[in-house]
Amino acid sequence: MATNEKVDVAIVGAGASGSVFAAVLAKAGKKVVVLEQGPDWQLSDLISSDFWGRRLRTAGAPFLLEGKNPYGYSGQSGWGVGGAALHYFANFPRLLPNDFKVKSEHGRGLDWPISYQDVAPYYDRVARDIGVSGDAKAEEIWRPVGEPYPMPPMKTFRHGQIWLKGFEAVGIRMVPAAVGMNSTDYRGRPACIYDGWCHVGCPTGALANPIVTYLADARKAGAEVRARSTVTRVLTNEQGTRVTGVEYYDEKKERRLQEASAVVLAAWSGQNPRLMLNSATDKHPKGLANSSGLLGKYMMAHFGSGTWAIFDEDVQNYMGTTGVQYMSYDRYGKTGRKGTFGSSFLTAGAALKTSELGGIANARPDLFGPELAAFMKRAARGLARINAFGEEMPNIENRIELASDKDEFGMPLAKIIHSYDQDAAALWNANFEEGLAVAKAAGAKEMWSSRGNMPTIHLLGGTIMGTDASNSITNSYGQTHELPNLYVAGPGIFPTEGASNPTYTIFALSLRGAEQMAASWSTVAG
Amino acid sequence: MDNIERRVFLKGAVMGALAFTVGGVEVLLTPRQARAQGVPFRTLNAEQVETLEALGETLVPGVWQAGISHFVDQQLSIRAEEALLEARILNVRPPFVNFYRAALGAVDRASQAQSNGRRFAELNESERREFVNDMRQNKITDWQGPAGSFIYVVLRNDAIDVVYGTMEGYAALGIPYMPHIAPTRRW
Repeated sequence: MATNEKVDVAIVGAGASGSVFAAVLAKAGKKVVVLEQGPDWQLSDLISSDFWGRRLRTAGAPFLLEGKNPYGYSGQSGWGVGGAALHYFANFPRLLPNDFKVKSEHGRGLDWPISYQDVAPYYDRVARDIGVSGDAKAEEIWRPVGEPYPMPPMKTFRHGQIWLKGFEAVGIRMVPAAVGMNSTDYRGRPACIYDGWCHVGCPTGALANPIVTYLADARKAGAEVRARSTVTRVLTNEQGTRVTGVEYYDEKKERRLQEASAVVLAAWSGQNPRLMLNSATDKHPKGLANSSGLLGKYMMAHFGSGTWAIFDEDVQNYMGTTGVQYMSYDRYGKTGRKGTFGSSFLTAGAALKTSELGGIANARPDLFGPELAAFMKRAARGLARINAFGEEMPNIENRIELASDKDEFGMPLAKIIHSYDQDAAALWNANFEEGLAVAKAAGAKEMWSSRGNMPTIHLLGGTIMGTDASNSITNSYGQTHELPNLYVAGPGIFPTEGASNPTYTIFALSLRGAEQMAASWSTVAG
Repeated sequence: MDNIERRVFLKGAVMGALAFTVGGVEVLLTPRQARAQGVPFRTLNAEQVETLEALGETLVPGVWQAGISHFVDQQLSIRAEEALLEARILNVRPPFVNFYRAALGAVDRASQAQSNGRRFAELNESERREFVNDMRQNKITDWQGPAGSFIYVVLRNDAIDVVYGTMEGYAALGIPYMPHIAPTRRW
């Protein structure tokens, strides 16, 4: 096996979390290599088309899907530099203080080993680093005071504004959405032009994807990004006390060894446990850092209760951003809805395109033939949507396991086994009911719920953080309890998920973890 | 991406076209042009093409002329990583051709079983609509193959792509396309 020159840090994955670690550690003077499975996308590759945007979705080894609510990963996955954050919507709501103490406050779920106040300074730092637009003051009806966002809220459009009357009528306060986009020019990146193609990648740099933010910083500071490099195992020393590097296959599909003083797994909540399970040794027979047996456990997803409506006017739904215009935490209490448990996060005002899963044609998936054609004409001008994201509680049965089938490199595929419980289903249903009430009060001409199979959005958990090796895989920095120079980054370390879109918290936790690694380098690197 | 790959990618995207083989030479055509020119199919056989076109036209009127079968056939002939198919974001396991062959076969088998041996393309318009409506709700008994409801989702989205996802499709609906980087003509 060919061996590369040893580096200080090998980071597996060039998405949101890996990019932050790369930037912080390269700036701290560490020799950093980022191994990315997919291609090295450039901004010029981000063509405004739903067809071409699919190239940004996974083309790696498939995950096998089981359970009552199989996890639909491929539409939201990433493929290549930037990861899923190359085509994310850049909605930047935070978690709230009640997300961190669910077990203590309600006797169910899990606690985080840290509180909101531990993360809050990093939310503010990320906002300054990469640019966030919004109205922090308005959000402070729900959360502790923090710094103002560096940019004012984004422009709004009729397909968002038109809902405000309806929300007000049912007692829900909406505020400008916090988004990782530029409402004004910011740090050399231009202001958004509101063409609504965020979901296939923003080539202007107005949206804070990794390749124009942390990954650009990392490269500038000397980090090497090695695309088309598929990591298959994390290697450990004979004693099983430290990791020594990773095994990977390069663009020619030749096996190589990358030695490193520390390894950061930032490959995705599904892929990180797959790698750790596949790296088992006699000292770590159940997979790396898995004496608790919790590796791959507590996988979580969000579910959305969408309400569609057609209004009797041109709402310009094709304009704006795929991210939303307005948001609310007014239904974020864990017991806010009778007979349910978990937070809901409400949004309004996402731009619509014709095709793709969230597009106009899929607002009525039951229609086909002439009825679909008639609907498309009717909806093209008047269709708008609101959404309520719901929180699933961590359940140990929702898990990742290795399968017997193998990929092209001989690495076992992984299964994602996922089912929602009754509380989640009840919350999903309750959110639909309120969505229809909002639509009615907003004066919609037609309105309907976006039912069907209960959706699975985002993937979190599997390598959760906790207080020690008996109850978790990592500490609050993502450092594994059992291997001090192995870190895990991304939403896999969340013990509970809240109902907020996760990427802002991913950036914040990664910044916190990377700075801890840099600050304690002598201990980490041994 | 390496330079060669990027050149091919951007060339295709800018032209709004895909690479088809005509007379042994690779040319860039839109699926509509490929259909009009009768470009030979690479992956699907004649029966599969016929079923796909009949099913597609039932799902989204206009999709036959827009070149649904040439689009799908060309996409199935390239590496999964290059594919632009909706299957890619619907958790279909590559190679995608396995799914399409199984799906089109399942549709014809079910049609033959319930319509005196007639394949789907041999049904009249009203029979086709009734079949699709039952298929999308998994109401056809003794169905063999991928679930009817899932076939409906995948092929309906392919047809939507070809008719409504293109720049022509936006123009027909009167929706401004507003690209940052234009797929200059159709995609």
